Amino acid sequence: MIRDVALGQYIPGNGIVHRTDPRVKILLLIAFIVFIFCSFSFVSLGIVTAAVAVIILLSDVSLKLYLKSLKVIIVIVLITSLLNLFYGTGDPIFKWGFISVTMAGVYRAIFVSVRIILLILISSCLTFTTSPTDLTDAIERLMKPLKVFHIKVHEIAMMMTIALRFVPTLLEETDKIMSAQKARGADMESGGIIKKIKAMTPVLIPLFVSAFRRAYELAMAMECRCYHGGQGRTRMKTLHMKGSDCVGIIYAAVVLAGIVLGNIFFTAVI
Amino acid sequence: MSFISAENIKFSYDDSEKTVLNGVSLKIEEGEFLALLGHNGCGKSTMAKTLNAMLLPTEGTVWVENMDTKDESLVFEIRRNVGLVLQNPDNQLVASVIEEDVAFGPENLGIPPEEIRERVDESLKAVDMYEYRTHAPYKLSGGQKQRVAIAGILAMRPRCIVFDEPTAMLDPNGREEVLNTIDALKKRGITIVLITHYMDEAVLADRVIVMDNGKILLEGKPREVFSNVPLLKKHSLDVPQATELAYKLMGAGLKVSKMPLNTDECVRLLEEVLG
Repeated sequence: MIRDVALGQYIPGNGIVHRTDPRVKILLLIAFIVFIFCSFSFVSLGIVTAAVAVIILLSDVSLKLYLKSLKVIIVIVLITSLLNLFYGTGDPIFKWGFISVTMAGVYRAIFVSVRIILLILISSCLTFTTSPTDLTDAIERLMKPLKVFHIKVHEIAMMMTIALRFVPTLLEETDKIMSAQKARGADMESGGIIKKIKAMTPVLIPLFVSAFRRAYELAMAMECRCYHGGQGRTRMKTLHMKGSDCVGIIYAAVVLAGIVLGNIFFTAVI
Repeated sequence: MSFISAENIKFSYDDSEKTVLNGVSLKIEEGEFLALLGHNGCGKSTMAKTLNAMLLPTEGTVWVENMDTKDESLVFEIRRNVGLVLQNPDNQLVASVIEEDVAFGPENLGIPPEEIRERVDESLKAVDMYEYRTHAPYKLSGGQKQRVAIAGILAMRPRCIVFDEPTAMLDPNGREEVLNTIDALKKRGITIVLITHYMDEAVLADRVIVMDNGKILLEGKPREVFSNVPLLKKHSLDVPQATELAYKLMGAGLKVSKMPLNTDECVRLLEEVLG
């Protein structure tokens, strides 16, 4: 059961979003985050919402999964919009004691909740449609220019790859250690939260020891396969820009234009 | 000159007084299948790691072809030629997708992408894991993982592969898969060094070296080596079950012309004896 946990929840598929170059997808995600926060009028917000909706519908991932990802943050959305409701200045439309709600506050609450929801949807779309390996690969390639500032880009990407590789292995191991400790009479279910955390010590210590042993062995295996950092290293899979990637970029440009026009010609409400 | 030759190797780990290897000399010819036997702590794993410059001998020299393993500039050339497969398959796989893991070695060697693709496909086919190429390693069985690890070494196109107890953590099915793979590699002309403490695996080799206390105790063809039952027993080493049975029958006064090494040979011997 614990082995089925998929990090980042990649859903295999073959839609246009899946086939888009992961680098382009990451850049588009960043662009859309900027778009979402730079939409100041209702028209702009509407345009960006529609744009996100189109991507989601094209993504070849069931809408249920998107709703599931929203479920987690629904509380955050409610709290932040509630707080924003009382934040606005201007004539109150509702007053009770020291609490006053203004029209500006209502607008602000709407904007904030729509923005958070869009943010979650668009980033879920990236993780749903991009495999973890593609993601780390794309991050490595996108960060390449940072080498100028002596940032070890290749090493960071390698660490991410290895971390992703070992998530299921270590989960499985945790499962085994827990069973082993239970077999020796360890009680992990009863008691309050503090007691439960304390009960995890006999699981965590062997897990850590084993993780270090694994790291040592892995380092040796990597050296056996001539690993010597990123220098002179080639990759089997090279990323190439395709027609569909250009479509993505043009799409983002059109959305940008729409938002800019929406911001200029319609009154900003926030 | 032999393909690999070790001359009077001594080795001790930095933090201990004890010498793990105590003057081992051995030669490995190109294309042969050598089994290195011995019980735990006899120095066989350490010996294996000196063969591809993972460990450098404190005294003596290891030559791979005409490359000295002490020469730092040759380290990658040596490791490319002499691959090392370790015991735990889980801790040898680097990537979350099998074909990407197999590509790791050639990528490190700076090989062009099209050729890496070719090598990866070829290596995965050689270990019979090609149809699993897009799977994640954690969903495979131990034997399958170990075969992927072998493919990862194979993709560097080594001339020799050293196996350091590759079946120790596997179930009987996994063991058989890995041994069959090793056999197939030998047929392709790759030199094999198999380190093991399973006697019935050592029987498959062309030549067996038995180590004890950091020294070579016995060396020869499997049949010659395993005929020395008393000596092996004295050093608390096992012999294949078939050999042991024949040895006990010999003790009971039976005439055995040829020491059996496996079940088939033993059955034939018994048939002969029982008429």
